[in-house]
Amino acid sequence: MRIAIAALVVATLAGSAAAAPIAIGDKLAPFTLKDAAGKDLNLASLAGKKAVVLAFIATQCPVSNAYNERMAAFAKEYEAKGVAFVGINANKQESSAEIVEHAKTHGFSFPILKDDGNKKADDLGAQVTPETYVFDASWTLRYHGRIDDDKSGKAIASQDLRNAVDALLAGKDVPVKEAKAFGCTIKRVGQ
Amino acid sequence: MIALLLVTALAGEVDAASLRQRIESHRGQPVVLTFWATWCAPCIKEFPDLMALATRRRDVAFVSVSIDDKEDARALDRFVAQRKPPFPVYRKADGRDDEFIDAVDPTWSGVVPATIVYGADGKRTALLQGEHTPAQIEKALREQGQ
Repeated sequence: MRIAIAALVVATLAGSAAAAPIAIGDKLAPFTLKDAAGKDLNLASLAGKKAVVLAFIATQCPVSNAYNERMAAFAKEYEAKGVAFVGINANKQESSAEIVEHAKTHGFSFPILKDDGNKKADDLGAQVTPETYVFDASWTLRYHGRIDDDKSGKAIASQDLRNAVDALLAGKDVPVKEAKAFGCTIKRVGQ
Repeated sequence: MIALLLVTALAGEVDAASLRQRIESHRGQPVVLTFWATWCAPCIKEFPDLMALATRRRDVAFVSVSIDDKEDARALDRFVAQRKPPFPVYRKADGRDDEFIDAVDPTWSGVVPATIVYGADGKRTALLQGEHTPAQIEKALREQGQ
C-alpha cells in the first residue's frame, strides 16, 4: 500500500515530477490547515470518527453551488452517525472572507479549510469542484468522486457518496469506489 | 479560398461512440476537440479565442461538445446562434457522465473546459484540462508536428 505523502516527499527529494495522487486503498497522513476563519484544524483531531469526508468545493462554481443544499443536509445527517464532513476550498481566487460568507448564506455547519497554494489538492489529485474523498477510521481512502449523478438533483439515480459512507458504517465493502462527474476546474496558483 | 462555415445551430447530440466516429471522420488532419458548458465561466471566456484559432488554423478540424444538461439546452441554442462559431457544436447526449468521461479519455477528470488534441492519424496527443490559451493549444499541435 502506498502512502501518498511519503511518495510526495520522495519525489520532491529526487527533484522529479509530482507524486502520483492518492488512490483507493492508500492512507492519508492527517494534515492541518486553517479554516476560512483562520483557525487551525488538524484532521488528527477527528480520530474516533467512523469516517471522514473531504469535499473540495467552491463559492463561485455553478456545479458546486448546485450541491450546497445537499452537502449541508448530508453533513448534518451524518454528523449524528459519527461521520465528519470537511470542506476544502483550493481556489486561489476565492478569499477566506468570501468562503465564510458563502458558508453562512448556505447554512453549512461543517468546517471549510482554505488550501492556500492548492498543496492538498495536489497531494490528493483533486481536479474539480465538487469532488469528494471518503476515508475510513484508519484514514484509508475508500471512495473518491462525485456526490451523486445528477447536478440538478431532480433525477438522482446513483447516490455514490451516500452509498459509500453507508457501506462503511455497515462494515461492508464500498460498492462503487470511484465515480467521475463534470465540474469546475480548481483554480490553482500559477494558472 | 475555401469559405468558412459559420454554425448557427447545434450539430446534434453525441455519445462517446458517435463522438469518436466524428473524430475519425477527420482522419488525415489534426483535430482539436473541446468540452465546455454555458454555465462555465472560463469556457465562455475562452470561446472567442477558440473561434479565432479555428478561423486561423484551417488546417485543423475543430469539434466542440457542450456538456450542458437538457435543462440548459435553450441557453446553449441561444449561445450558438449568437456566437456563430466556425466549427460544429454538439451537445452530449443524456446518459451517464462518468461513463462518457472515461470512454472519451480515462485520464480526463471531468473538468471543463477540457481540450483534447488528436493527430492526423487519429491518436490522442494531448489532454489540456482547465482553461488554456490558443498559444497552449497551438503548442500542443506543434508538439505533434502540426
